[in-house]
Amino acid sequence: MAVALEESGSLNVLRLEGGIDIASAAELKELLVKALEPGKELRVALGGVTDLDVTAVQLLWAARQKACAAGVGFTFTDSLPEALLGTLNQAGFQSSLFFENNS
Amino acid sequence: MASKADQFKNAFREEGREVLVDLEAALLELNDHHGDAELIGRVFRALHTLKGSGAMFGFEDMATFTHNLETAFDEVRNGRLAVTSELIDLTLSALDQIRAMLEEGEAGAPPADPAACTEILTKVRHLTGKPEKHFIMKSSAPAKTDSGDAPGAEPATATGPVREWLIRFAPGADFLLTGANPLLLLRELGQLGGLAVKASMAALPPLDELDPERCYISWEMVLSTAAGCDAIRDVFIFVEESCELTIETLAASSESISASIADRKDAVSMNAADLTARALEDRRENRGGRRSYDAPDNASSLRVPAAKLDQFVDLVGELVTVQARLSEIAQQHDDPEMAAVSEEIERLTASLRENSMNIRMMPIRATFEKFRRLVHDLARDLGKNVELTIEGAETELDKTVIDQLSDPLMHLIRNSMDHGIEPPEARIKRGKKPIATIHLSARHSGASVLIAVSDDGGGINAEAVRNRAIERGLTTGDAQLTESEIFSFIFQPGFSTAAQVTDVSGRGVGMDVVRQRVDSLRGSIDVASKSGLGTTVTLRLPLTLAIIDGLLVTIGDAFFVLPLANILECIELTRAGIEAANGKHIANVRGEIVPYIRLREHFNIGTPRPEIEQIMIVQTEQGRYGFVVDRVLGDCQTVIKNLGRFYRHVQLVSGATILGDGTVALILDPERLVQDAVRAVLQRTRGRPGAAGGGNRLPPDRSSVKRDANFVSSGPAAGASPQ
Repeated sequence: MAVALEESGSLNVLRLEGGIDIASAAELKELLVKALEPGKELRVALGGVTDLDVTAVQLLWAARQKACAAGVGFTFTDSLPEALLGTLNQAGFQSSLFFENNS
Repeated sequence: MASKADQFKNAFREEGREVLVDLEAALLELNDHHGDAELIGRVFRALHTLKGSGAMFGFEDMATFTHNLETAFDEVRNGRLAVTSELIDLTLSALDQIRAMLEEGEAGAPPADPAACTEILTKVRHLTGKPEKHFIMKSSAPAKTDSGDAPGAEPATATGPVREWLIRFAPGADFLLTGANPLLLLRELGQLGGLAVKASMAALPPLDELDPERCYISWEMVLSTAAGCDAIRDVFIFVEESCELTIETLAASSESISASIADRKDAVSMNAADLTARALEDRRENRGGRRSYDAPDNASSLRVPAAKLDQFVDLVGELVTVQARLSEIAQQHDDPEMAAVSEEIERLTASLRENSMNIRMMPIRATFEKFRRLVHDLARDLGKNVELTIEGAETELDKTVIDQLSDPLMHLIRNSMDHGIEPPEARIKRGKKPIATIHLSARHSGASVLIAVSDDGGGINAEAVRNRAIERGLTTGDAQLTESEIFSFIFQPGFSTAAQVTDVSGRGVGMDVVRQRVDSLRGSIDVASKSGLGTTVTLRLPLTLAIIDGLLVTIGDAFFVLPLANILECIELTRAGIEAANGKHIANVRGEIVPYIRLREHFNIGTPRPEIEQIMIVQTEQGRYGFVVDRVLGDCQTVIKNLGRFYRHVQLVSGATILGDGTVALILDPERLVQDAVRAVLQRTRGRPGAAGGGNRLPPDRSSVKRDANFVSSGPAAGASPQ
């Protein structure tokens, strides 16, 4: 698991890699709060994610809600592996809708 | 430090071990009662628990392997497969493999045998006629949600009409912290049939207020399956206490639900899950009341690592030592206020001590129960019919003691099974029941617990043991030995009268291990045997190894503690009393003659003895004995400290304790002291016909003890060593 925040100018990129689960939840929350700055766009890069549990889904969902409310740009770059999307769909998250870039 | 995942794995390992013990007991009981539905249910639930939580905590191999057995017992549960000894033996062998998979990665644990696993599964398939789920499969791909035909996972109860179930599942606040994963539960539920799922984010707080380790999401699902309510509930069996779960059947057909969903497909802003949820809402409105299984907020028990408990007891021990020091200081200062506080702390410390020791007390049941399997397997291997009966399984003793009991009990049982119990034909010839009995019992006796292993076999041949002892030079042909002394030879290293060494015993190793382990626990062993009727080996063990109540005494400048539980009374020993006994080491206690041991002389303490000494009358395995000391100071809570490796061979002392003023007092072992003194006397008098004639109760007469430095007479000249 690795969570890293790259800050540059008007863009913050949060890069997630490996299995993102409860062990990294506290760190992920801290970085999301930090990354959501007024006037800066946040991109969450999911390309390297191999697993995602409910804590990660909750945090990304809440972060997206916050960004929406504050008018901050929030997009996902790269897509999750098919198998992972399948698991999330199976759990009723409609991941294809959630992780698409429509905000 | 272990990661969270490792912590969860370890927690599951501990639970898994308990489940395996229960599974084994249920299987062995089922072997005697093939049709018992309750036992069949117990076996099924145990297998289901191992499968379900195994998968949840990353023991994929174990889960897949167990799944096949679970399927077999589901067939049994549904009356399609009969319980046979073959199925039970197969499941017991499988259980050993499951145990190996569970312990994988633990130090010293043997790995599971893939060949044996495959063989077991092939045989299971042969019995059930069902295809096996390949046990080395790693389930990485998500299961299908739209049908029950996920790879290798046939629905557990795929018979009867397909019904639709409305399931609402809301994990509790600490759900994720227990290591549970809702996604895996949903996947498992999907294996039961067609599943439509809606996750609700309604309870999710804003990002800043969100506790990252708490689950706020809840789920509503419609499951179309032939499985019953119990099978659905079984999916949540391990998490039911930490979630809110309702399961209700939907009377309407699947078509009407689908139609209800289809009606709303024109609602552009809704996704499929929302539509399902709407349909579910409609159903609920029509259904009325629902069952709720609210989990209690407070758990009634906690699982605490043994190491933490040991640390706690150690700290209480330190507190007891410091409190003794405080009491000592309070006594030296004439300050009523300080004395009151000191007394209050003493009272609280005693209470804390008692409570902390109680926490470590465990019933011996699990240790006893696990021998059912040993007896079952050995009986099969040796071609004997043996029944194990258990008595006093609820008897509690310190976990540290329990942990070390398995080995000695195992050796005693193996020995009984191999040498004690006769083959069925021989038993019938002797007019005995063909089914032999091994009886395990436990009961409290003062500050000790007595654990006995009895069998109704042929008994020990005392003459054969004696002859073997003479051959090995352990005794002489003309020595007069009691039966108990003769039997004690069987615990000598390498001692065996077995003509043949078998796989089970006969190498003369096991009983030596028993003695060593019991010695290390400061216990004692007693053997009683009647030729042709059977043998009983009784282990007397201390209830605890940490803190005991003791009586503090002095001899010269040295302090000693005697365990209070052994002490019956204290009486004075005056010079007049010594003269009345003609210098023999005996005291007259209200008409009863009690031999005594002068500890001053036994320990070679070279200070002059006082005019009036004290005899502490103690109860030992060998009867009542007196220990002569200078003064009795009073009772004390004794925190037992190990003497360390250097003094580990000192047998008469079971440890040391630190007194209030920092002085070290040795804790005496009354049993050993008596044995040692008696042995010394016997060694001196052996060879003199009639001198020791079965009399290990009385000390020697004056003429014999004069020659021994450790057990001298109490005549006026004796013990008056120069300063």
